[in-house]
Amino acid sequence: MENKDSLFTVEGMSDEELFSLVDHNSLDSEKITAPRYSYWRSVFRVFFKKRINIFILGALAIVIMFAYIYPAINNYDRFGNLLDPAAKHLGPMAAMKKFGYNIHWILGSGASGQSTFDAIWFGSRISISLALIVAGINMTLGVLLGAIWGFSKKIDIFMMEVYNIVGNVPSILLISVLVLILSPTFWTLVFAMTVTGWLFIAYFIRTQVIIIRDREYNLASRCLGTPITRIATKNILPFMTSVIVTLLAAEIPSYISYEVFLAYIGMAMSDMSLGRIIFEAESAMVTPGWEFEFWSPVVIASIITVTLYVTGQNLGDASDPRTHM
Amino acid sequence: MTKYVLKRLLHGLISSIIVVGIVMVMIYTMLDRNLIFAQDPVFKNLGNNEKTAYMYRTWEEYGYIDLFSYQDYLLMLQENGEIDEETRKSVSTIGRKPESDKPETAAYIQKYQDYCDANGYTVVRLNAVMVSPKKYANGGKEQLFASKDLPIAHRLITYVTGFFSVDNIHYVDKDIDIGERKLTFTLHDPVYGGNKFAPAIIGNGTYHKYLLYVDDKFPFIHQNVLTINLGKSYAVNAGVDVSETMVKKQGSYVLRSITFPTGLTEESADDLHTAVFVANSRETNKVNADRFTDDYTGVNTVKSGKSKMGYSFTIGIIAVFLSYLIGIPMGIAMAKNKDKLIDKIGTVYIVFIIAVPSLAYIFLFKAIGGKLGLPTTFDMESSSKLIYVLPIISLSLQSIGALMRWLRRYMIDQMNSDYVKFARSGGLTEGEIFRKHILKNASIPIVHGIPGGILGALVGAIVTERVYTVPGAGNLLTVAISMYDNGVIVGVTLFYALLSVISLVMGDVLISIVDPRINYSGKAR
Repeated sequence: MENKDSLFTVEGMSDEELFSLVDHNSLDSEKITAPRYSYWRSVFRVFFKKRINIFILGALAIVIMFAYIYPAINNYDRFGNLLDPAAKHLGPMAAMKKFGYNIHWILGSGASGQSTFDAIWFGSRISISLALIVAGINMTLGVLLGAIWGFSKKIDIFMMEVYNIVGNVPSILLISVLVLILSPTFWTLVFAMTVTGWLFIAYFIRTQVIIIRDREYNLASRCLGTPITRIATKNILPFMTSVIVTLLAAEIPSYISYEVFLAYIGMAMSDMSLGRIIFEAESAMVTPGWEFEFWSPVVIASIITVTLYVTGQNLGDASDPRTHM
Repeated sequence: MTKYVLKRLLHGLISSIIVVGIVMVMIYTMLDRNLIFAQDPVFKNLGNNEKTAYMYRTWEEYGYIDLFSYQDYLLMLQENGEIDEETRKSVSTIGRKPESDKPETAAYIQKYQDYCDANGYTVVRLNAVMVSPKKYANGGKEQLFASKDLPIAHRLITYVTGFFSVDNIHYVDKDIDIGERKLTFTLHDPVYGGNKFAPAIIGNGTYHKYLLYVDDKFPFIHQNVLTINLGKSYAVNAGVDVSETMVKKQGSYVLRSITFPTGLTEESADDLHTAVFVANSRETNKVNADRFTDDYTGVNTVKSGKSKMGYSFTIGIIAVFLSYLIGIPMGIAMAKNKDKLIDKIGTVYIVFIIAVPSLAYIFLFKAIGGKLGLPTTFDMESSSKLIYVLPIISLSLQSIGALMRWLRRYMIDQMNSDYVKFARSGGLTEGEIFRKHILKNASIPIVHGIPGGILGALVGAIVTERVYTVPGAGNLLTVAISMYDNGVIVGVTLFYALLSVISLVMGDVLISIVDPRINYSGKAR
């Protein structure tokens, strides 16, 4: 019967091939085969399997586009309408009626007649850049030094003392002193936020390294004579990737929030960052009819931090090899 | 255990002192010392040489420099017997310019100069500033003094050694005749009229008049023997210690009928138990002479509000209770119903709290609360308890989120562990496993944070207190920084550092009580 025949035919292979004798090969039997596995391909496969991630990534793309491309192709003059009293503190409808229906005025105008929408995105660029640079420096230093800290017991004793002392110096004090000594610029703030900021990340990494360092498989690996650098890069680092990504996801938005907080207590940089805009618009919040000026930067700051956070968290989940099954 | 705790506390104390040292280096050597005058009204009104002299005097008072004036030098010579009083008086007046000094004065000034050079002082001589040949300009009188920068180590040692001060009967200057210096114990406190039974210790020659007394306010027995000096304030609360600034009552005066020691009865807010010695205060002030029989006239007033720390603690402690009350059941529910609706709602809340800037949701809740008719600005005079509602809510939002997040994480970790599988295979019900095994193990890290939460309530919250204008302690550090009040900065830093040390040690002790497997006695098992 045809059906029975087709059961025993394999496409592209003749009967001779199928029924040829295979010798026992002692070399081949030592080989261990597994399905092809690429770490990063699996990360993205798991990441995009969740439909919500595509949506969030889209939102993140919009945020990044507005924060980096929009300011590059538009001119924004904060004091362009300073002399026009009728241009100040306008709601969206009034502003659009006055200046024409375009994207600049969809959030109304601020205290010096500037476009709130433009101000927010020019400020966002500063804030996001600050957060990215600070996170980059802190994470690099923190992960590298934290790994060493976790590995060496001698360094651990010394670093724990440093951590106990430096951790108790109030960070607002440190930042304000540095801002006073230097000047309230972008790079001063970067310096102030990184000079001790890496220590807290390093402490977190140290704890993680200590947990993994003494696991049985690492003890076995050490007994077999694996060099310590190989243990660090091949045995421990893959475990840490998801931890690092998750941490990074929490760090970047937290620096944006921290910048907003610093600006609110009056220790901001001189640039019109997102925090500074919120700080200066605070008085508008209590004035009836002007609330929009205050809430729009607050809401956009929240959208930025939430998209960054959720993207990072989901990427962190996806980068955990245990989810790749 | 006790040994371990003491060791940890001592270790923490040393760390805190190093922290203070670092902060001192930061604010006293790295910051421009002229900044401290930014908020000083006295400084603004002074002119010319007076201004400079005032700056140096203030720096001496706040420990920057050691001041050694020409007059001090002459007095020193007189005490050593090198010159007599007449010579001292004759050479003490310096000329308007160095050229116009009298010859013998010039000789002494030269000697002063040499002495200062030899001892590392820098001499400052300010020539008179004149508006006309006879008339000095405002504050234009000539000045001659020398100063020497004090090293930071000296400052740190003075600060640490002066941390506690014990009141004693030799406090009042020995030249002041104050009668017999003694401590008196009485069972009938004279403040209450002398008939009521109220034990008190009254000092004569001490700084405080009442060293120990009882009254009807918590903690009922009060002492003034041991005082803590965290550092003297310059701009925030001029001349007052930081600890005093934090615990002093605020608000409006509470007037009541008071019988003063002279028998005078008046409506007053004075609290006679707080009387401290002020030299010659009765001679210079008629009001004091009418009221008091001795020079213990410096009294505090009774005020209706709470202290800075009181407000912060009231709000903080309720917020802590509220967050444990809500956060723990929520965390448990999320772990129990993992990946179900309640877990998803909780996760959205956690993301919201972590990702959104705290400022944004505090303002959001302020706006919502305002719409509901809750008061959004704090008023000390208000008798309504509703003013506490919004600050408490906005303070607890964050800790609820954190509690939910960590409790869920720990419980899910425990749920996958072998002993849970074993318990299940042994036939325990799910409820039993959850209550008796998972929750107990998962709550240990949570318990560790309880002392920190409670002590953290003393510190207050910066943003919440600012947004709702709560007169609490949370803003003290930021206010001190903005006013360049270095004494307050150092004091508050030390206070924070000590609290964090104590709460960590207490957390460790608490988990060892909750979990018998944790043992600090050092014997490896």
